[in-house]
Amino acid sequence: MSTDLAFAVEVDGVVKRFGRQLALDGVALRVRRGEVYGLLGPNGAGKTTLIRCLVGLVRPDAGTIHVLGHRLPNLGVLGRVGYMTQAAALYPDLSVAENLRFFAAISGADGSVDEALRFVDLEDRRSSVVSTLSGGMRTRVSLACALVHRPELLLLDEPTVGVDPQLRVQLWGRFRDMTANGTSIVVSSHVMDEAERCDRLGLIRFGRLLAEGSADELRRLAGSDRLEDAFLRLSEEVPA
Amino acid sequence: MSARRTLAITRRLLEQFRRDRRTLGLLFVAPVLILTLFYFLLRGGGGQPAMGVVNQDQGPLGAAVTQELLNSRSVQASEMDAPSAAARLRDGQLAGYVVLPSDFSAAARQGTIQPQIHVEGSEPGQSGAVIQATGAAVATAAGSLLRGTGVAAPTFSPSVTYLHGGPSLDSLDYFGGAFVGLVVFFLVFVVTCVAFLRERSQGTLERLMASPLRRSEIVIGYMLAFTILALVQALEVLVFSLAVLHVHNAGNVLLIFGIETLLVLVAVNLGIFLSTFARTEFQAVQFIPIVIVPQILLSGVILPVSSEPGWLQAISNVLPLTYAVNGLRAVMLKGADLTWPSVQLDAAVVAAFCVLALAGATATLRRQVA
Repeated sequence: MSTDLAFAVEVDGVVKRFGRQLALDGVALRVRRGEVYGLLGPNGAGKTTLIRCLVGLVRPDAGTIHVLGHRLPNLGVLGRVGYMTQAAALYPDLSVAENLRFFAAISGADGSVDEALRFVDLEDRRSSVVSTLSGGMRTRVSLACALVHRPELLLLDEPTVGVDPQLRVQLWGRFRDMTANGTSIVVSSHVMDEAERCDRLGLIRFGRLLAEGSADELRRLAGSDRLEDAFLRLSEEVPA
Repeated sequence: MSARRTLAITRRLLEQFRRDRRTLGLLFVAPVLILTLFYFLLRGGGGQPAMGVVNQDQGPLGAAVTQELLNSRSVQASEMDAPSAAARLRDGQLAGYVVLPSDFSAAARQGTIQPQIHVEGSEPGQSGAVIQATGAAVATAAGSLLRGTGVAAPTFSPSVTYLHGGPSLDSLDYFGGAFVGLVVFFLVFVVTCVAFLRERSQGTLERLMASPLRRSEIVIGYMLAFTILALVQALEVLVFSLAVLHVHNAGNVLLIFGIETLLVLVAVNLGIFLSTFARTEFQAVQFIPIVIVPQILLSGVILPVSSEPGWLQAISNVLPLTYAVNGLRAVMLKGADLTWPSVQLDAAVVAAFCVLALAGATATLRRQVA
């Protein structure tokens, strides 16, 4: 069932409880096609749970989610989504190219291992075994695995944790290249520098979407010059 | 060397054990469990081998020997006629029977006692028990009948015929059939369990579940890979056992391989299924004393299931390994083929366990991710 094609992600009234803990408390948001949407919030705010909902790893207790126009759960649409987990989830005893070939194959979509390797600048390490790579390189391989099947929606869960500033700038350049080609990106972060680079931001805390807008809009809303202050002020306005 | 630093290590380890209830439980529960099983297997008082007595003797000795055997504690003897004894031996209801011929008493007075003993033969221990019990009964009966008659004690020289195997069948031949299956089952289970656990712990399972892959595709993909590996292993074990160790085989090698294949499929799926219940590879290894060793003890690999007490037999009868071992032995020792109802049953039950384990493995994948 298709809905509005202008949106890559449509989340409506999503509630998720883990035991007594309320992880998501009626979240509603829209991610437009071709934009970078940043999920901003402290640890434990519900960012990861929300992203896991978008790939069907978590089934909401209430509410609906549409991804690329398809109501979840929908196994087929996952082939058009790329997902990069927090830790670089790779097969350490396989080579870079073997990892990529595997993830391309299970996505069921056409993929180019060479193109993905070029994208993350790892063409010269294609036959290196992953366990011999540095942490930064593994992050790049992990990203390459998430986009080897040319997804229309890329979900990145804190992609630049533990990544040096140089590589972070480089990766963001790549993300921008992708959105220029029409890919939509949802990225979770608690790094303000990254938040500045997103087209729009959603502030999440206690499983609720507290505010939404571009970095400038959020600063104006909070009457603050710095995004960090704006974030803290907007978070405090809502009682826990 | 600093005692403080050394003790810090000791103390930390003990603290870790205190948190890991499961390992603690294993350390103290597993030995008691395994020893208890051994107790019931070896001292459980479960069935002695069943034997038949066919008394055709006109004289008094035949009746005396028969009475001795019926009273014997090492076998469970009952009287019957020759055709029904032969039929029950073929059915596997009897471990053996003895025929006391019509000239039995007369021959004994001439100095030789020649009963005809027919044994099933595929279990050396049970065949031996039948022969031994007959010898003891004859010695006691002859001794009391001939006492004071001045006739010299006759020599006991039974003629023994084997339905399967033969006198040359040794323990390796008996265990070989079971070990061929057991070795493969055990190793495949451990390897699959650890491999699947690694898929979870390194986070790649999360990636698989976020892809269009179906759960059944993951499980069957795993199954195919490990089946290929395990079949090569099974082939190696089989060739080594038959060609190098000369383990007795009266049956079709392809059928042995077929039963092993089914057993491998059970092991792979059981490995995936149980990997859900372990968080670390350490915990996965703990399945060996809890899941594997009791299965080995109860599946008739070492002692026949029929020698277990009844309630333990009930457990043995729901273990896949029991049927696989039974089937492998029937083929290798008795030359059974697929027309035998017992082999059909064994193969069907192991196949049913495959399906059950496959369903279990697929179902646990959902549990992990929800």
